[in-house]
Amino acid sequence: MPVLQTSFGFSPRVRELPGCAWALLLLLVLFAATASNFLTTGNLLNIASQATLLLLLALPMTFVIMTEGLDLSLGALLSLCTVIFAIVVKSSGSVSAGILACVMIGVLIGALNGSLISMLGIPPFVATLGTMGIATGLALLLSEERELIELGATAQAAWSGIWMGIPLPVWIAAVSYGLFHFLLKHTRFGVSVIALGGNSEALRLAGKRVVPRLTLVYVLAGVYAAIAGVLLAGRINGGNPTAAQGMEFDAIAAVVVGGTHFVKGRGTLFGTLLGVILITVLRNGLNLLGLTASIQVAAIGILVIAALAMESRR
Amino acid sequence: MSLAIIQDRSVLKHAQAPSEETIGITPQQPVNSIETESVKAPPLIKLCGIGKSFPGVRALQDVSLSLWPGEVHMIMGENGAGKSTLMKVMCGAYKADEGHFEYQGRKVAVRGAADARRLGVAVIFQEYSLVPYLDVAQNIFLGREPMRRIPGLIDHSRTHREAAALLQRLGSDIDTRAIVENLSVAQHQVIEIAKALSQDAKVLVLDEPTAALSVREAEKLFKLVADLREQGVAMAYISHRMDEVFELGDRVSVMRDGKMVTTLAANQATPDELVSLMVGRKVNMNYSRGERPMPGDVVLEVKDLAGTNGLAQASLQVRSREIVGIAGLVGSGRTELVRTIFGADPATSGTIVIRGEPFKGGPADARRKGLALIPEDRKRQGLALEQTVGDNLVSASLPRHFPSSWFSPARADRLAKSKIEQLSIAPARPRKSAGKLSGGNQQKIVIGKWLLDDAELFIFDEPTRGIDVGAKEQIFALMDGLVRQGRSVLMISSEMNEIVRVCDRAYVMKDMRIVGEVSHEQLSEDNLVRLAMGGK
Amino acid sequence: MNNILVIGSPEARTIALRLFALGVIGLIIGSVAEPFTNAGNLLNILRQASLLFLIASGLTIVIIAGGLDLSIGANVSLSACLAATVIQSSGSLLAGAATALASGLAIGAMNALVICVLRVPAFIATYGMLWIVQGIAYWYMSGTIIHGFPSEVRYIGIGFTAGIPIPVYIMLAFLLLGTLFTQRTTWGRQIYAIGANPTAASLSGIPVNHRVALVYVISGAMSGLAALVFLARLNSAEADLGDSLMLQAVAAVLIGGTSLFGGTGTLAGTLLGCLVLTVVLNGMNLLSISASWQPIVTGAIVIASVLFDAIGRRNR
Repeated sequence: MPVLQTSFGFSPRVRELPGCAWALLLLLVLFAATASNFLTTGNLLNIASQATLLLLLALPMTFVIMTEGLDLSLGALLSLCTVIFAIVVKSSGSVSAGILACVMIGVLIGALNGSLISMLGIPPFVATLGTMGIATGLALLLSEERELIELGATAQAAWSGIWMGIPLPVWIAAVSYGLFHFLLKHTRFGVSVIALGGNSEALRLAGKRVVPRLTLVYVLAGVYAAIAGVLLAGRINGGNPTAAQGMEFDAIAAVVVGGTHFVKGRGTLFGTLLGVILITVLRNGLNLLGLTASIQVAAIGILVIAALAMESRR
Repeated sequence: MSLAIIQDRSVLKHAQAPSEETIGITPQQPVNSIETESVKAPPLIKLCGIGKSFPGVRALQDVSLSLWPGEVHMIMGENGAGKSTLMKVMCGAYKADEGHFEYQGRKVAVRGAADARRLGVAVIFQEYSLVPYLDVAQNIFLGREPMRRIPGLIDHSRTHREAAALLQRLGSDIDTRAIVENLSVAQHQVIEIAKALSQDAKVLVLDEPTAALSVREAEKLFKLVADLREQGVAMAYISHRMDEVFELGDRVSVMRDGKMVTTLAANQATPDELVSLMVGRKVNMNYSRGERPMPGDVVLEVKDLAGTNGLAQASLQVRSREIVGIAGLVGSGRTELVRTIFGADPATSGTIVIRGEPFKGGPADARRKGLALIPEDRKRQGLALEQTVGDNLVSASLPRHFPSSWFSPARADRLAKSKIEQLSIAPARPRKSAGKLSGGNQQKIVIGKWLLDDAELFIFDEPTRGIDVGAKEQIFALMDGLVRQGRSVLMISSEMNEIVRVCDRAYVMKDMRIVGEVSHEQLSEDNLVRLAMGGK
Repeated sequence: MNNILVIGSPEARTIALRLFALGVIGLIIGSVAEPFTNAGNLLNILRQASLLFLIASGLTIVIIAGGLDLSIGANVSLSACLAATVIQSSGSLLAGAATALASGLAIGAMNALVICVLRVPAFIATYGMLWIVQGIAYWYMSGTIIHGFPSEVRYIGIGFTAGIPIPVYIMLAFLLLGTLFTQRTTWGRQIYAIGANPTAASLSGIPVNHRVALVYVISGAMSGLAALVFLARLNSAEADLGDSLMLQAVAAVLIGGTSLFGGTGTLAGTLLGCLVLTVVLNGMNLLSISASWQPIVTGAIVIASVLFDAIGRRNR
């Protein structure tokens, strides 16, 4: 089995990446041929902006899945942050205050997830299932009897702003990708993420404590859900408690289809990037072909199971 | 000196064809000679009068051991002699109850792993200290990655440079960028050693390092050990292999029953002497089998069996009314053999015939054919600790006693109580949680589970490990009773004297193969040990 | 053995504790919210709890075996929609029931296939299945709602016999069958053994893979049957029918004392868990607490239950 030996210590399995990339290529060709508006600039920009949001969730989710965990609460957290952002901006008029509030909530819930999982050995899906419920309820509560639209130009700037011809969200996504890449390959934290999934005992033997590191992985996810929430609020110009419901599923699917398979700390950020584009393109294309969101979701589910089944056969 | 070693090794290879005739191995020319008597400097590290007890067991008693720099100190002894416990005390995993440490002649306190590390003691693990999907350099420097001047950034080139230097020092050509998951066990070991050296280890503890290695890989390890010795590293090397002991060892210490029997210079010892030191003990148990029943028909016949778990080649036969032993050292493949027979691990070639019918399948099928397996790790593989004694007792025989699939708690209770009484399981309460019973009683539960299923062939894997003397005798008497009823027993044990006392005859395993069969007349500890250790 | 009727056994203590908690919570709510103790309200609670139990019972068995089924809510949704279609077109309760059962079984079988044959970890396999089934349900219904069933169908959901709602009888049937299965069949005992220690169970000659596949099929079938009762109660079927059920079912199972780590748990406990959860949610309703608090409370209960279980395991 040929192994690509890259220079920085973790290699994407050669088999996976091309699989995902070929599938993406196939989809692009397919949709270009069958869907009339697929290749228009407008549509491609649409894909790009959708993908940037998903990428913001999928990047930290990659770390989570590399530690053999799962975070089901990110979609609800994202929605909650749009609500909080809207509330703070409307009441205080300050966008920075809104951002701060969201990040704080992201840190809080991420820390809650992380400590439940790392300190008490609670299975990640249960812990995050619980926090998902809490976040959903909070979002619904806070948005009751409140007008949460019309946040003003500044709030929308993050989403609609353009710098050097490229939309701000794309910049944010690119910088984030760079950040995660940097974390994974050039910092001790990145090494410990791989170790957490591959052999946490090795970390302990090296005298490094598992609890703070694993918690940080989930805090990172929470913070990014918050950032994505701020962006989304800017995009829909308001807060919506169910705005991103189910987005965690797309994020998980993107990570899994991209090649990170809950296996002993093995993972690839580039694969996640491809996975995000693939999922977004798939949704977009199916949409243009008139297939509803529900079919899209079913198709993505099948992809996830197929990817994992192939992993088990190895 | 290196030339001499190569020559010696080739001579050894010719002498090692495993057969019944391989009784003794003539020792080679002295490999090295540190004249320990004439060295004036104090030893690098010395354990003095170490004692360690666990509930009910005195694992170490007044054990002393010293290590000089550049010395390869072989530690020998049967299983349960205390070698591993001693090593764990040395590396700080256990805290000694009695005795003290000396470092370069000065008394020091070693309260835990950190203290031991500071003294430069490192234990070479096999698997569990490496991260599969990190590369070699990352694994070596896990948690201590060299950083660049900008805080937070790992200096990759320095990491790989220093890792490569370490590996070169060990004479290894492993690519520092290779992913550990793709490397062999032998290479993992080298990486572990490099990791230890990178932390300035002056004392390495190696526990049966060649157990999982091929002949060629072992030779590379020997060269590595020789190089390390030249670099002044002291090594405590637990070994069961005579050829290793004489090829690499400077001194040999033999342990027995938790005590240090003696320490000899390797060039002044003979294999026979070592064997008798390891094995000699007063047989202080009263059990004797009396008249052996006559063996009946062949119940199990295994031919050229090999399996995915590493079993290379095994052929054996078991008749009814027989207790057949399987002897061998740790890592010789005994557990792999019985697991393959029982269907717990898949077979890759060979045949298993049970009562004349070829057998293929998993444990559920084996059970239906009358096989029973009492595993080595009773807590993790033999019992559900959270369930009750009663639940555990009936778990294997449910289809037999409740063929209609209707389960009656009252009947199950009665069945459980009958075994509790028959085996004297204490406390005699079927509703007690199995995890709360002592080792001996837990073992009885596992045995009772299969008694309830009326098994015909009982396979015991280390049945008396960690069990007190009284319970041991009961288990042996039970085995005798079973064969008198017409059943058969296949028994793995690391204690050769047990096999001699209890079994009718025995097979001996080495390096994943059955290398010999010892008949009733020839059954003796010496014969078993020699076969098990016979040259490499 | 694991017989809850034995005084002093750990199972009996678990049940007693839950009964006690139920009583306390009931008293508190009863004193604060007047309509709580109305006969009508109590019967309503019973009906609601019974409905929840129909799904939670299958989940209990899966969790006892050491597995997990996150797809049950979606299962109920799709099965209900399919059954509703058949009922509307054929007017036959029997055909509807058969459809619901078949749909539930099929989904359960798919889960069993993916987990036991393809060896995908249960949590992600059933999570993926959740979305697949939900997607199919939403696509199939395309936003429509099927409304209005023959009276014999509706009777199952809202009818009474001897003053007790029909769903309660169905719940009792599930309770009886489920308890019989887990306590009085060899398969049930084997499932407990598998959950407690799958390795030891396999080495004891228990066909682990077969039994695990079986529990997923059972869970699917029970969800399918539950779907019928749900649509009868609501007199309608929509694609989002089962959306909140999964979280509630998990909470109910955990409250009832079943450990996520497998090997323990009783259906009676789950029933009590359903009652406790329903009483709490009902009380919140009566106190005019916003419905938005429900997922918060349920989520908090899930976390608290697992916390207690994990801490309890540590101390043992």
